[in-house]
Amino acid sequence: MERISFYDQIARNKRNSIFLVLIVGVIIIILGYAISFAFSQEYFFFIMIIAIIFSTIYSLIGYNFSDKIALSSVNAIKADPVKYRQFYNSVEGLTYASGIPMPKLYIMDNPQINAFATGRDPQHAVVCVTTGTLEKLNKQELEGVLAHEMSHIANYDIRFMTLTAILVGMVSIISQLFLRSMWMRDRDNNKSGAIFLIIGLVLAILAPILTSLVQLAVSRKREYSADATAVKFMRTPTGLIGALTKIKNNQEMKVAGSISPLFFAKPNRAAELFSTHPPLEKRIDILKKM
Amino acid sequence: MVIWWVIGGIVVLGALVFLGYYNRFVSLINQIDNSLAQIDVQLKRRADLIPNLMESVKGYMKHEKGIITEVTNARKALVSAGNLQGKVKANDKLEGALSRLFAIAENYPNLKANENFVQLQNELSSTEDKIAYSRQYYNDGIMSYNQARLTIPGKWFASMYGFGDKKYLQISQSERAAPKLKFD
Repeated sequence: MERISFYDQIARNKRNSIFLVLIVGVIIIILGYAISFAFSQEYFFFIMIIAIIFSTIYSLIGYNFSDKIALSSVNAIKADPVKYRQFYNSVEGLTYASGIPMPKLYIMDNPQINAFATGRDPQHAVVCVTTGTLEKLNKQELEGVLAHEMSHIANYDIRFMTLTAILVGMVSIISQLFLRSMWMRDRDNNKSGAIFLIIGLVLAILAPILTSLVQLAVSRKREYSADATAVKFMRTPTGLIGALTKIKNNQEMKVAGSISPLFFAKPNRAAELFSTHPPLEKRIDILKKM
Repeated sequence: MVIWWVIGGIVVLGALVFLGYYNRFVSLINQIDNSLAQIDVQLKRRADLIPNLMESVKGYMKHEKGIITEVTNARKALVSAGNLQGKVKANDKLEGALSRLFAIAENYPNLKANENFVQLQNELSSTEDKIAYSRQYYNDGIMSYNQARLTIPGKWFASMYGFGDKKYLQISQSERAAPKLKFD
């Protein structure tokens, strides 16, 4: 079996996720050109500024309160340091391996094996595991899951995904505004304007779909990257492989759509292209090669 | 005229890269020193846990004088070690002695049921994990430092900054052999 190094995996996935975000940037530029030809450059700048403002405010609010929002939506409670001593010890060990400060630890009551991490930066980070995780996984598997979550924190994934969300949100708003203002268009435009109008129309409908797919692809790349970084912390993929194998038996979990990307394993069923997480089998295959 | 702007631009860029790399080197060295300090903290914690452990053990394993002496001596060596390299060596010996102690404790069900003993065993196990993680992070830090120092352009700057090379934390050949457990 060809071995792959986790260093290479980390680098590759980070590169690919940045490349994908650049694609979103290019889509914005193309959309902008189409709209400026259909209307006017000034109109496009106007739409663009509205889009930036709204998308940024919306995403930044979510980003700054991501920890409180996520925790309250699953009714998580703070993990008692005495009762959950092993849990705290495992996380503390990983803070030495990763170099990030100790995150706040929470427990959510659910028999499925799952966990999530959130918070705007490593200094304000939160890790939450289900009761099922603590019961069903052995020490090495639990540390594997925790290492994956702390990898998200250490790689600033939450910040990265927020940035992506801002860009994708912008595309969505630009497209929406363009489509709605179709009716108010100056009817004196000549034929060439009409062609750009049709192109703009098609782009405006396709762009949000395309960028959503890109956003999901980015999310999947960061998941692979977090798996590889977790192996870097643990120096063995055994724990992660064990945890992912046990997760195959997970039932669906009811969680809000906005926080489902944060979880270690996909909480609900979705087709691969539309999923925030890579398929379990692929994750296990890649880990087995490390 | 334009040529002066271009040269000026290159000089400014070069200065920024030079300074940027200096800060990066300092940051890497700080991380390395930090992880050494962490190792130190965990080693002290291990040494502190041993007396409590021995009190629990002596109550049940009075006759196992050999292993009790071994652990106590290993702890003394750890506490009296001078530099970090010496402490890490002493800790490896202590870890060997402890694993023999816990293997022997398997024959004493009353001891195994003792909550205090179990808690101390878990604490010692997790401090050993933390030392392992800290050593790993220290070595990772050395690797990043060497990478910065040996690749271009860090290579050109390194001698100017005056930062020398740094050593990995090694395991000596003798310590690589797994401890032999004797079951009598």
